[in-house]
Amino acid sequence: MADFSIEELTVIEASRYINDGETVFAGTGLPLMATMLAQKTHAPHLCFVAETGPIAPIVLPTPLSVSDPRLQYRSVRLGSLREVLGCLLQHGMMDVGFVGGAEIDEFGNINTTVIGDYERPKVRFPGSGGGNDILSHAKRILIITRHEKQRFPKRCTYITSPGYINGPDARAKAGLTSKKPQIVVVTRLGVMEINPETGRFQIRKLMPGSSVEALLEATGFRPDINGRIENVAPPTDHELTTLREKVDPQGLYSKKV
Amino acid sequence: MKEESKVMTAREAVEKFVFDGATIGLGGQNVGRMAMAAIHEIVRQGKKNLTIYGCNLSINMDILVGAGLVKRCEAGTGNLEYFGTTFCFRRAIEQGLMEMEDYSHLGMISRFLAGEMGLPFMPTKSMLGSDMLTQQVKSTGKKYELIKDPWNADEPVLLLPALKPDVALIHAQRADAMGNVVIDGFLALDVELARASKHTIITCEEIVPEEKIRSDAERTSIPYLYVSAVVEQPFGSHPAAAYRYYDYDADHVKYYQKCAREGGKALEGYLKHYILDSENFDDYLEKVGGIKKMIALMKSMKRMV
Repeated sequence: MADFSIEELTVIEASRYINDGETVFAGTGLPLMATMLAQKTHAPHLCFVAETGPIAPIVLPTPLSVSDPRLQYRSVRLGSLREVLGCLLQHGMMDVGFVGGAEIDEFGNINTTVIGDYERPKVRFPGSGGGNDILSHAKRILIITRHEKQRFPKRCTYITSPGYINGPDARAKAGLTSKKPQIVVVTRLGVMEINPETGRFQIRKLMPGSSVEALLEATGFRPDINGRIENVAPPTDHELTTLREKVDPQGLYSKKV
Repeated sequence: MKEESKVMTAREAVEKFVFDGATIGLGGQNVGRMAMAAIHEIVRQGKKNLTIYGCNLSINMDILVGAGLVKRCEAGTGNLEYFGTTFCFRRAIEQGLMEMEDYSHLGMISRFLAGEMGLPFMPTKSMLGSDMLTQQVKSTGKKYELIKDPWNADEPVLLLPALKPDVALIHAQRADAMGNVVIDGFLALDVELARASKHTIITCEEIVPEEKIRSDAERTSIPYLYVSAVVEQPFGSHPAAAYRYYDYDADHVKYYQKCAREGGKALEGYLKHYILDSENFDDYLEKVGGIKKMIALMKSMKRMV
C-alpha cells in the first residue's frame, strides 16, 4: 500500500460511516469530501443534498461553498432551503447529517456562535447556519474536525446545535424528534462516539500513531475509555487513489484536518 | 391586461424602495446569486440604520456593515465558508456596534414562510434545546413561544414570528418588464423571501420579452405581483456566481476578505475604490477586470452546466 497521511486517513475513516443508499446532508469542506469519497467507493447509491437546494448532484471537484455551481452539477432537482431543511431534514428523511469543525463538548453539543457574552462576545463565530437543523433532525450525526484541546471543552458556553444537551434524556425532554441519534466524531487522533446510555463521548477507535493518552491530552473533557477500543484500519489503495484523484485533486481540504 | 413597466436603474430602485431604517431581506447564498448591484447602490446612497434579514448572509451584508449602515441582523449565519468568516460582521458584533439575533436557517425560513402566507407565526422543531432560546439581544422582545403540540401534548413545539421585510433584494437570471422572474439553479430562500416582503427589487442578468415568460410559465419562479422593480444588470451578482451564466470570482472574494479582515484603511480603500468612486456597477465591473475577467468566469461556468 502507498504511503498515506493521517489527514487523508481521517477523511477516509469518516467516509466509512456512510452506508450505501443513505441520504446524506453534508456541509462543504471535509464533510463533503468524505461524503463524495463514500459515493465513489463503497456507497455509490447514497443521495447527497446541499442546503441551498441541490438534490442528488454528481458533484464536480472541488466545491468551496454550499452555493458553488460544482455542487449543482447534474442534480435531479435544484430546490430551495425550505425543501431541503424543511421537507427533507425536519421531515425526518435524512439518514446522516455531517458537519465540520467547531467547538464540541462532552455531550456532543456544538458551539458555532459566540465565546463570551452573547451581546458583546469576546469572539463572534458565523452562527448556526443549517448546523442546528442538522443536529436537531438527522438520524445520525457525523462530525469531522481538528483535534485541539480548545475545540473540545467540557461544556460549550453556548449551545448552537444540540448533541445530548446535558444527559441521555435531554433531547427528548427538549422536544427534539430524533431523541437518541448516533453521534460520531472523527479526528486525526481517533474516533469518539456518544454512549446513548450516558449521553457522553467514549473512545471507540485510535488512529495510527495515536494513543489513549494522546487523545486525552488533546481533549478538554474526559471521554469514557472503558469500552473496547479498536484501531482504525489503514486506507485501501482504492480509497486513497479515489480521494487523491477524484475527490480533492487539488488537495484544498486534506490539510485542514 | 396591461401592466406598466417596472424597469429602472439600480439607483432609481434603491432611491424609491430603500430608506433609512428599512428592514431588508437578502436573497441568494454565500457565493451564489447575490444582488450586489443593489448593495453597491445602497452604499453610494448611504441608506443607514438598516436591519438585515436572511439565512446565510455573505459579502452582500458584510459590505453594508463595513460601510457602517447596519444596526441589526436577524439571520442564520454570516459566513463565506472556505473563504472565511464575514469579518466586518464579526468585528461590528464584537465591538458592540451592531446587534445580531441568531436563528437556525430553518428558523429563518419558517419566519419567511409565515410572512409569505399571511400568518402571524410558524411552528418548527428546530432550535429546541439550543441557546438560541436562552440568549437573545435585549431589544428583540418576545423572540419565540414554546407550546405543547395541541394534538400530542407530550411534544414541545417552537413558534417563531412572521417576517415581512420592507424590501427584498434578489438577483435572478431573467425577468420581464412586468416583473416576472426566472431563477436558474438553486433557489435558496428567494421565493419565500420575495412573497413575504412588502417590496422586491429584482436585479437580473437580462430582461426577456413578456411573451417568453408566457410561453414557458412553469419556469416562472416569482410572478410580477410580488415585484416592485426590475433592474437589468449583467454580471450583477459579481463576485458571486449566477448559475448557467458565470462562476464566482474566487480571486476577488479573497481580495475582499483580505481588506475586510484587515479593516481600517484597507476596508475604507476597498469601499472607496470599488463602490463610492464608481459611477455604477458597470464601472465597478471594469475595475475588477472588465470583459476579459467576465469572459473567463463565463467559460468556467460553461464547463459545469
